[in-house]
Amino acid sequence: MGLLQGASELFPVSSLGHAVLVPSLLHWSFKQSDPSFVPFLVLLHLGTATALLVIYRDQWVAIIRGFFTAAFRGSMQNDNERLAMLLLVGTIPAAVLGVFLESRIKMLFASPYEAAGFLIVNGVLMLVFEALRRRAEGRVAAQAQSRTEQEEHFAQAERISFRAAAIVGACQALAFLPGISRSGVTIGGGLLAGLRHEEAARFSFLLATPVILGAGIVEVPQLFSKSVPIGEYLAAAVLAGVAAYASARFLLHYFRSGRLDPYGWYCIAAGVVSLALLRFSL
Amino acid sequence: MKSNSLAVGLGVLGVVFIILAVLYAIGALQLFTSGPGSHYKHAILLVVLAVASFVGANFARVKTV
Repeated sequence: MGLLQGASELFPVSSLGHAVLVPSLLHWSFKQSDPSFVPFLVLLHLGTATALLVIYRDQWVAIIRGFFTAAFRGSMQNDNERLAMLLLVGTIPAAVLGVFLESRIKMLFASPYEAAGFLIVNGVLMLVFEALRRRAEGRVAAQAQSRTEQEEHFAQAERISFRAAAIVGACQALAFLPGISRSGVTIGGGLLAGLRHEEAARFSFLLATPVILGAGIVEVPQLFSKSVPIGEYLAAAVLAGVAAYASARFLLHYFRSGRLDPYGWYCIAAGVVSLALLRFSL
Repeated sequence: MKSNSLAVGLGVLGVVFIILAVLYAIGALQLFTSGPGSHYKHAILLVVLAVASFVGANFARVKTV
């Protein structure tokens, strides 16, 4: 589960959807309705967040410093200060929706059928994001010879507008639905906002870190208060972190020229196959 | 957008968020919660919203040199 979550968290394929689906399909003994299931997933998310903090450690130091400097000065004077404020604006919508609608959303967690259905929706979304991006590329990058040249016509994360950052941030809340990928919708949102693929992925990963850490801080104490195998869970969290580190490195390289389409098709196929397996109890 | 009125509004909003955070923390407010008791998650979020409001207020106020 640790490796699965860590690998699927940053790929635009919904880690939560996989965490709900795979145990059901493989008849693992995880009880998804168990109160410790969500805190366990959050512990795995903490492993992922740690991997992201390691990858972007220098950037986070600059962002945190930039946040306090800009907050006290009351203005932004460099890219790090702007990025800090963009991340604040982008984080708030998901945090508000997550906290106030959490109990209702959790009711959807237990059903693998819904996870499979949302996985298909996620795949369609990825294909739509890329179709819209191709249209934008047709307008601004028609003369470009290669994918790298096409990407150069689009912006870096620091240049995204505050309105777009808020919308991308709000999209994160969709990921509370199992099957909808947080990184998928935020990378897609970043693409629609005019970011390069690699920059959309970077913004997505930076945006994820405070939400995942925040969720972890409030949920982990619940995990320790129950009779759960903490040692095994922590080992799973470490594995999740290692897998997430490798995934993030791969994706940042992949998105220099790659697109979301393969992940979209994967999600549609995985959703359809999962629905069939669940329906016929294979 | 610079405006002292907006800055005051955001400052007041920040104070309201702080009050709501305290009410959630002591369990006096149960709106959008899963059950009775203290709701630290809601309280932490409201503190973050208060900080964001105060930062916004500082950005919005007209600076005097």
